[in-house]
Amino acid sequence: MLLLKMAFRNIFRQRRRTIFTSITIIFGVALAAFSIGWADGTYNNIINLFTKGWLGHIQIHYKDCLDKPSLYKTIENYNQIGEKIGKIKGVESWTPRIFSAGLASLKDKTSGVRIIGIDPLREDQTTSFHKKIVKGNYFKDGVKNQVLLGKGLANILHAKIGDKIVLVSQGADGSIANDFFKVVGFVSTDDEMYDRNSFYIPLKDTQEFLSLGNNVHEIAVTVKNVKKVKEISKKIAEIVHNPDLTVSPWQEFAKDFYKAMKADKGGMWISLFVIILVVAVGVLNTVLMAVLERLREYGLLKALGTRPKDIILLVLYETNIIAFFSIIIGSLIALAVNYYFSIHGIHLSQSFTYGGMNFSEIMTEINLRSFTIPAVTVLLTASIVGFFPALKAAKTDPVKSLRFH
Amino acid sequence: MSEKKLIIKTENLKKDYKEDGVVVHAIRGIDLTVEEGEFSAIVGPSGCGKTTLLNLISGLDTPDEGKVWLSGKLISDMSGKELSDFRRDNIGFIFQAYNLIPVLTVEENIEYIMLLQGVPKEERHKRVLEILDAVKLSGLENRRPTQLSGGQQQRVAIARAMVSNPKIILADEPTANLDSKTGSELLDMMAELNEKTGMTFLFSTHDKMVMERAKRVIVLKDGQIIDKSEIDIV
Repeated sequence: MLLLKMAFRNIFRQRRRTIFTSITIIFGVALAAFSIGWADGTYNNIINLFTKGWLGHIQIHYKDCLDKPSLYKTIENYNQIGEKIGKIKGVESWTPRIFSAGLASLKDKTSGVRIIGIDPLREDQTTSFHKKIVKGNYFKDGVKNQVLLGKGLANILHAKIGDKIVLVSQGADGSIANDFFKVVGFVSTDDEMYDRNSFYIPLKDTQEFLSLGNNVHEIAVTVKNVKKVKEISKKIAEIVHNPDLTVSPWQEFAKDFYKAMKADKGGMWISLFVIILVVAVGVLNTVLMAVLERLREYGLLKALGTRPKDIILLVLYETNIIAFFSIIIGSLIALAVNYYFSIHGIHLSQSFTYGGMNFSEIMTEINLRSFTIPAVTVLLTASIVGFFPALKAAKTDPVKSLRFH
Repeated sequence: MSEKKLIIKTENLKKDYKEDGVVVHAIRGIDLTVEEGEFSAIVGPSGCGKTTLLNLISGLDTPDEGKVWLSGKLISDMSGKELSDFRRDNIGFIFQAYNLIPVLTVEENIEYIMLLQGVPKEERHKRVLEILDAVKLSGLENRRPTQLSGGQQQRVAIARAMVSNPKIILADEPTANLDSKTGSELLDMMAELNEKTGMTFLFSTHDKMVMERAKRVIVLKDGQIIDKSEIDIV
């Protein structure tokens, strides 16, 4: 207890130096906590926009349909599977999809298209697809053969709302599929390549057009907490219990995006390391100076019978008291800053593209790890860095220090 | 008349130092005995080895050759931890420069050793008040060393050295930083405490006042006791 009291009082002996060290730690902790909050917020925004925008957090396909797509690799009884999935805790929603290729013609314009069959109601509940309609309207109930065109495709075909487009493809039964589809709107996904061939039709019309019966190619699932996506994927696989079906979390079906994100996160750790290094040098400087100034005192304490381990403790208490209070202040500052930007966001003067999506605003995130990581790292760093001067203090020779200092 | 016990015994004590590559023979084979309750002074010119001898006797420094017994225990062979505990429980130090811990109050400075010894709080407080009364510093227990005069600081140092009832007080030039009046008062006080408690005092000094009050003077020159017959001032 007396050691702790001495440590507290020692801190205020060189106020200016203590304040300088505290500022270094406060700045380091606040910057690290803000950086993590910002990075986490950015990645979660990106993941959410990327997955909730269209892909979903989890996808279910027939075996290797994801890598080698085929009209015939379908999921049967998707409604039953979907209902089971919907009951799993943590699942937000699910939606079926069909994919195929075809040829679309309007007057003298023809273009290869990617036919995408969606369930209008379920898609609306699951993703934010409807928000991507930049002109026209979403599918109306009970109206047959409507189509939403990717913006780029609409430009290629010179299509206008209300135009009727001829679509030709191959049915699953080997027949030639052809029909007219009325343009009800245009879709822009921020992915120009995708928009240049996207041809969205309601699921029932697609099944009929491609003679797929009640089958689909994909079930996209969204979850309430994106961090639990892998856990929920496993549960889905257990509950669906069909060896012909593959359940993939977004990290698997969007591998490239995931890898890019992980590489980016590596950069964040490097920044954190640099911040901690600056803090470590600041702390080392202060503690070393304090110890060298007080060698006589440590010699006296030893002469009076203080054990070296208590002298080590005394120095470490001093270091950690400064670190502890600085961490609290730094964390509070970071909390306030992160809170502000989690509501108001950081508006970027120039938008950036990531995973094919455009971002012009970044929201920070308030989470426990953005505070615990800097706090634990700084406290550990302070202890490690403080240990060497502490050892020097503990090794002080009372004879020399009392004679020369 | 009962025979007094030996409290300090040294045998062929030797200590060399290297200064700028030159070997200095600080202590050259000292055989010394001090009895319990003595009020003695080691005197001699600067650099004769007084402080080194005190450091060797207290176990703060280790001899190159020879042995030191304190209270019958051979301290020159003790391990660091054992010696540290022995020093804490048996020796009280008074230094020339007072050497109080600046961040602690008078009371905390005095009770520091008792705290290391694990003496309960109430007992510590009681003993601090008693010793403060004995060194005439009652009422100053909450002051910091910087709020005291040099004489008062040295009184606190004496109180700190004596409060845990050590067997011996080693005082290295205790009056060197004090004016003659304060030094004289302090020496009288220590002599009185020596009479009252029977605690052994061993000074290193070249202060005439100390020599006058010491019951035994050990004269040191060039690391050796030069007058083994011992000058009995009394």
